[in-house]
Amino acid sequence: MLADIFILIGAFFMLVAAIGVYRMPDLYMRLHTNTKSATFGVGFLLLGAAFRFQNLDISARALAIMIFLFVTAPVAAHMIGRAAYFVGAPLWKGTLSDDLKGRYDPKTHELMSKSKTRKTGDKPTK
Amino acid sequence: MSFVNFAAFFLLTIAFLLAFLRLIKRSNQPHRISTLDRVVALDLMATLSIGFMTLYAVETQKTVFMDAAVILALIAFLGTVAFARYLEKGN
Amino acid sequence: MNYFILNIALALTWAMLIGDIHPVSLFTGFVIGYLILFTARRALGPSPYFGKVSRVIRFAFFFLWELIKSNLRVARDVLTRTDYMKPRIIAVPLDAKTDAEITLLANLISLTPGSLSLDVSTDRRTIYVHVMYAENAESVRREIKEGLERWVLDLLATEKE
Repeated sequence: MLADIFILIGAFFMLVAAIGVYRMPDLYMRLHTNTKSATFGVGFLLLGAAFRFQNLDISARALAIMIFLFVTAPVAAHMIGRAAYFVGAPLWKGTLSDDLKGRYDPKTHELMSKSKTRKTGDKPTK
Repeated sequence: MSFVNFAAFFLLTIAFLLAFLRLIKRSNQPHRISTLDRVVALDLMATLSIGFMTLYAVETQKTVFMDAAVILALIAFLGTVAFARYLEKGN
Repeated sequence: MNYFILNIALALTWAMLIGDIHPVSLFTGFVIGYLILFTARRALGPSPYFGKVSRVIRFAFFFLWELIKSNLRVARDVLTRTDYMKPRIIAVPLDAKTDAEITLLANLISLTPGSLSLDVSTDRRTIYVHVMYAENAESVRREIKEGLERWVLDLLATEKE
């Protein structure tokens, strides 16, 4: 019973992730749904499967996949997001502000912590 | 097939279709940006495949599919990272 | 760490006494061992281990709650109109110093409500976050610093003791 509910929730969230990836306006927001909803969905699905199998080995495997996905999804999102900013993927027109603008060094791929125009001595606002 | 499994398979199929549509969608963006878009779609498809395999393993009680899901989880992550890295550095 | 090893030894003992070494019996042994150590903590001398375990558990619940909240929100927004979103890329100054702290924080940011960590500056003083709903950049900054970052620093600071 509980396993059924988990499986349904999981499948639903994966569908939400797919809809999000299909209709979100820019790449960064697509990444949002991809990392959060898809990972969450597959996590629930695996949890449901872990409950369904009356076998400890398999349940442990399902949990291992779940943990692995939860660890790797943010890393993958970080890599894609970083690459996206480098190749200049456009932000959605409704984006309000962009603190990253002009802070990457295009040659060395280094990232400054503040813009060059500000004095280097002042502390960042908390 | 129980109702729950059927419903879950149904939802996942629609999700897969949507991800696929995003994958083949043409855009007028430069090459590297549209490729990154596709990497996102592919990453989602890999996650969906893991879901499919899990469901199939539950449905048929063939536990081998769980092993396949483990391997896919490992490889999909590597693939995504490699793609992103290549698109960032390579020119 | 000493108590952790002792706890594992107790768990093993329990599993052997039960007669089979099995994840379930090991887990039960661990819980019982922890309770034994907790009751005997006066005799054994103080250790950060007890505080840490309860903190980890509380953190797990906090994180789970955030995860559920964030997903419900994303689900709602994906299914309804998208044009009232207010995305921004925000620079958040970091108090976290070590690799472990920054990594954990970045991962947690990516998994919690409407925020996705894009990159950390090379001098490790700022993390750049893409946020989906940010009326006000300052309040988002404060939320991250006082919510997640405080948890992360708390959690990892005790580990060094």
